[in-house]
Amino acid sequence: MGFADHFPALIVIVLFFAAFFSPLLFRWAEKFSAPFVTAALAAALVMTVTLLVKVQQTGTVLYHMGGWPPPWGIEFKADPLRLYILLIVISVSLWIFVYAVGDLKHELKKEVIGWYYTLYALLVGSMAGMALTNDLFNLFVLMEICAISACAIISIKEDRECFEASFKYLILSAMGTGCFLLGVAMLYMATGYLNYSLLQVELAEALTLYPRNIFAAAALFIVAFGIKAALFPLHVWLPDAHASAPSSSSAMLSGLVIKIYAFTLFLIFYQVFPRELLEIVPLNEIILWLASLGTMFGSIYAMLQTDLKKMLAYSSIGQIGYIFMGIGFNQDLALVGSFYHIMVHAVTKAMLFMVAGVIIYSTGVRQIKDLAGIGRVLPITMLAFTIGSASMIGIPGTGGLISKWYLALGALEIGRPFFVLVILASSLLNAIYYMPIVVNAFMHQEDFKFKAKPVPRFMLVSLVIGMIFIVISGIFSKPVITLLEKSITVLF
Amino acid sequence: MRITSRLVTPFIQVYGIYVILHGHLSPGGGFSGGAIFGASLILIALSFNLEAGVKQISHQTASILESGGVLGFLLTGLVAIIFGGNYLANQAAGFPIGQAGELFSAGAILIITVFVGIKVASTIVTLFYNIIEGEK
Repeated sequence: MGFADHFPALIVIVLFFAAFFSPLLFRWAEKFSAPFVTAALAAALVMTVTLLVKVQQTGTVLYHMGGWPPPWGIEFKADPLRLYILLIVISVSLWIFVYAVGDLKHELKKEVIGWYYTLYALLVGSMAGMALTNDLFNLFVLMEICAISACAIISIKEDRECFEASFKYLILSAMGTGCFLLGVAMLYMATGYLNYSLLQVELAEALTLYPRNIFAAAALFIVAFGIKAALFPLHVWLPDAHASAPSSSSAMLSGLVIKIYAFTLFLIFYQVFPRELLEIVPLNEIILWLASLGTMFGSIYAMLQTDLKKMLAYSSIGQIGYIFMGIGFNQDLALVGSFYHIMVHAVTKAMLFMVAGVIIYSTGVRQIKDLAGIGRVLPITMLAFTIGSASMIGIPGTGGLISKWYLALGALEIGRPFFVLVILASSLLNAIYYMPIVVNAFMHQEDFKFKAKPVPRFMLVSLVIGMIFIVISGIFSKPVITLLEKSITVLF
Repeated sequence: MRITSRLVTPFIQVYGIYVILHGHLSPGGGFSGGAIFGASLILIALSFNLEAGVKQISHQTASILESGGVLGFLLTGLVAIIFGGNYLANQAAGFPIGQAGELFSAGAILIITVFVGIKVASTIVTLFYNIIEGEK
């Protein structure tokens, strides 16, 4: 076996290695610590791209840990869809990390920065593992790593608000993992397997023998991933957690962590549960209604916020609704839309949180009403905010439009035009709270009231990268859409 | 209290090492053995004072060992790749398997349990130090 055959495992291992090596480096050779983690993320990115190219040529790659085939060993699976998510996770987190290295100096105490890198690499590594693993129990372990490191990168700021928020998150996400583990136990009881592919075959038969077990497992999974991904009525932990964390953590949590859980739920729906289960129980219908409510209420809550980061956090609840809508429609075009939205929203929301970070760093302002006239002081920053909000609303020329377009097409395809109205209405609601900030920032009569420090160049560069990406994703969406269509139609 | 802990500590530590090394033969292993070993270090710090505990293993050493334990685990897995198996492969990568039931058997599993033991013992000590120092 060549070296390249080990890439599925190595992607995760490189990140975990970086996680535990960086505190040692930080102790003895501090200035190499951040470049080392960056290099690890870059290496993971290169491996992901190589793997994606290979998978598109030769088909799905399976990797067995320790050489043990399932059902004994843990299996990693690399198909185009998983690698697409993995690519988003790793490239976005590399981008956020470059921003974070500079920003953290102002937000954290110096001694904890080395540990921040550890937690960051652990978080990325666990998400990469969640995207790749093909084993439910391995997924559970990775979810725990992800949840704990996510809590820790919130509470690392060590003020009262952060402790409270991360404690709330810790308790609720522990409930989520508890539900998940119980669900896994139910499936294991009925079938004796933990591997996704084996489960899918076995569950089709077990459905007639032990229907109650499997229904209960399905319900538990929806609750578990609903909490983790902040699906509407289970979102209560999100606003505090995402708003009080350091800006780079918020970007990470809002941009990637909630999406990876939505993706895992998708995998469980389409690669673990047999088709018959989705036909007997209206799981998709439940998700659809919760997601629609989420898109509306997330926006309505966001309107009521006075704090910029809180508003962005509530907006995430609305946006994750679109992603779940794709699963709800249970239709390939809509799923293409929601997968596209995973990418667009990961970049957009991460960039908006970076903008908030830049504003807080430069002026110390957090309140939305104080932002009036800021566009003349921080023009590039507010331009980034404008493009980001345009993408959130779905204005033509930004990536946000493409995903909503495909979601709406999917809704029409299955003959439910009502949900097109929901998508339109929620876009309008998005406009209601994003647009006034933009207009006020640039058009306000009076000058900006606060003093602004000059913004470091690397922060602006990160914002510019984000802006360019959002525009490109809005105009040249074809290659990604083709990739998604090809890999999603296989599931139906 | 001090006399008892002075008497008991070496036995606890030997027992901890036994549980770690026998992980592949009997119930126990890296986690439980490491926890026992770490508890013995905490016992010293509790029954004498923090300084006596720090003399055994300082906070810095503990947290370096903590990272080192995980790195050792990961590297053992990587060794398997170098020798031509999959990640964490054992016999396939040519680790000597030995006679089942003997102490030095089961190849990579023994090495991995030792690293897990180091990791767990140092983590427990670090956690303890963090809590104690947090109250100052």
